[in-house]
Amino acid sequence: MKVLRKYREEVAGIAFLLPNIVGFLVFIMVPLLASFALAFSNWNVQLHNMFQTEPLQFVGFENFRRLIEQPRFWQYFGNTLFLMIGIPFSIGGSLLAALLLNRDFGEKNRRVRGRLLAAAVMGGACLVLAATGFNLGAIWVLLAVMASGILLTGVAGGSVVYRTLFYTPHFTAGVATFILWKKMYNPHSGPVNTALQPLLDGLAGIVNAVPGWLGDLGYAVLGVLALLVVRWRLRAIASNLLDRDIGLLAAIISSALLFLPVALAALWLPYHGLGPLILLAMVALGAREGWRLKRGLRGLAIDPAYRLGENLMFSLGLMTLAFILVGLGRVLYHLPAMASDGLNPPDWLIDYHWAKPSIMIMALWAAIGSNNMILYLAGLKNIPGELYEAASIDGASGLQRFWHITWPQLAPFTFFIFVMSVINGLQGGFEMARTMTQGGPAGATTTLSYFIYIEGFETGRLGFASAVAWALFGLVFMMTLFNVKFGNRYVND
Amino acid sequence: MSTTRHALFHTLLTVLSLLMVLPFVWMILTSLKTLREVDFESWLPAEPQWRNYLDVFEVIPFARFYWNSLFVASWVTFLQVLTSALAAFSFSRLKWRGRDKVFFLYLATMMLPGLVMIIPNYQIMVALGLVDSYLGLILPASFSAFGTFLLRQFMLTIPSSLDEAARIDGAGRWQLFWEVILPLSRPGLITLTIFTFMGNYHNFFWPLVMLRSESKYTLPIGLLSFETQSGQLTHLLMAAVTMSVLPLILIFVFLQRYFVAGIQAGAVKG
Repeated sequence: MKVLRKYREEVAGIAFLLPNIVGFLVFIMVPLLASFALAFSNWNVQLHNMFQTEPLQFVGFENFRRLIEQPRFWQYFGNTLFLMIGIPFSIGGSLLAALLLNRDFGEKNRRVRGRLLAAAVMGGACLVLAATGFNLGAIWVLLAVMASGILLTGVAGGSVVYRTLFYTPHFTAGVATFILWKKMYNPHSGPVNTALQPLLDGLAGIVNAVPGWLGDLGYAVLGVLALLVVRWRLRAIASNLLDRDIGLLAAIISSALLFLPVALAALWLPYHGLGPLILLAMVALGAREGWRLKRGLRGLAIDPAYRLGENLMFSLGLMTLAFILVGLGRVLYHLPAMASDGLNPPDWLIDYHWAKPSIMIMALWAAIGSNNMILYLAGLKNIPGELYEAASIDGASGLQRFWHITWPQLAPFTFFIFVMSVINGLQGGFEMARTMTQGGPAGATTTLSYFIYIEGFETGRLGFASAVAWALFGLVFMMTLFNVKFGNRYVND
Repeated sequence: MSTTRHALFHTLLTVLSLLMVLPFVWMILTSLKTLREVDFESWLPAEPQWRNYLDVFEVIPFARFYWNSLFVASWVTFLQVLTSALAAFSFSRLKWRGRDKVFFLYLATMMLPGLVMIIPNYQIMVALGLVDSYLGLILPASFSAFGTFLLRQFMLTIPSSLDEAARIDGAGRWQLFWEVILPLSRPGLITLTIFTFMGNYHNFFWPLVMLRSESKYTLPIGLLSFETQSGQLTHLLMAAVTMSVLPLILIFVFLQRYFVAGIQAGAVKG
């Protein structure tokens, strides 16, 4: 009994864990280890089955060697990573949705409520009348009726109504959603392109009417703007570093990110002689800040990852902004040439270059009202109201309250959502590819998980498929380790 | 908030809601079309075919599939929430040696694509004699590293001062779990309930591998019957999906009220 008393906490801990860990061992650990063994075997369903009992061989690292040598593995790996660019946007979108829906719309004041209801009725009626009056076709009338219906129930029922509607993509999750988007993206009969065509025709008319050098000018202006954004952020990082307000590693990573869009702009530059010049300017910019820092950095001894998460997010945001500026500039530059013989909407899923962006748009749509939104809503409810009361006594603005209360209080949730999004992102795309694109065109939408499915369940090479899965596991593992190491520290601060 | 701001918010939310609901609308409209109309550009059927909803029950044993799905998903949800809550309590509230290592093992298992575990898991089911049984569908899904991770994160946000207070009041660990932590984790428990129920209701691959007899089919497998040799009966498929989604909406509308209520209301005063 003495032993039991000494290990009391251990006994209790394991007792609570017991029902879970038994199932965990049998249904998760054992299959996991089995698949690990398979990864080193040549098990192929077509060769080794009930009828053909060829002996199973263990082939060492042969599967992994074959994997690395296949160029398509690297292509699919690149696809998977590319599709993951959407993750920060999805998370930001669901946070925004949760913040919007967290407000209580059930207005207590009867007069305000009455006025709102009246406005909703009138607005809805106007919409429906306009749709019928302009002869827009039955579907538009239907949409107008729906919009006014949502507005009315929303005003009457409060945020519960919107919350449920936002979550609807999830009720039909999977196949139904994919079939629908496939039909929407159809280049000829789909609603997306039918709506875009008149807009693009108008744009082409405008572009053809203005002189061509305006496009070049636009590119230059936007490029300089992007550089200014980068410079502003670099200087902020440098002075934070001097104030010991950011760790060294955090500073390096968040500065390095900023150079990506600039490097891309240099690569895309129309006049090839200018590329090296821009790169030189970048190096000069970095060197100057570095020199300024060198003198101030003596005796710097703070945690290198101090405030990494926060700065990383901020840099990511600005990087996206710079990317958008550069991208827009490039569009401006090429527009005159493209518009001379009319603009056409893309072929979406059929076009090699547009297939991945199409899927990212769909994923963003599905992710905003997803489980992440639910998690954030639950997290928002967990924040003690006293914090906000104290802040409003101190006269904090809405944005300040967000940055100093909401965002840090939601950190455990953001951490969880980010980790799960990375894991799901690396493992995702199997159902999408199976129902929408079959991984095409030319493998543009084949992710690693679809590759595993093809190898394991269509060609039957289970050994090889397991090897792919374990290679993928290695990747996810490293990414998660990074997240836990730096994210968790941030969360616990 | 002023009336104008209220009105603006409602307009914004209405537009966004409409975007979110569109596929659903398309699905319902398609379910009212004739088979010939399915591929037409127009979203609207020339004449709504309400008969489609009755035909679903005649073409496949829809009621049976419906019941199977609800039965399996309910059991999985109950078991998974229970085992996850117990484990999450152990991982977040009790301090035992090796705890974080075991937890990391849990985390690590989430990183292996589930697809490859299906074959070994099937072999285990053969060994246990559970192929083509409800138990074979329920058991493997009832233990989840994800659920444990989720609830642990929720429990970490509950102030640890409550534990000390409870211990001073002479509460044992079970009382701490049952009377303090569990009620306070209600938003987490409800969130996990929604996720698990939805996930398992939609689960496709595992039932496909496990089930043999049609009487045990769950909805996602049963709906494959609409892909006949002569082509896909999309209109009936959409009618069936529309009907199959109803319990999910009901559960969501019913449960989401609870995490709106919040946990702070009575528990963590002062």
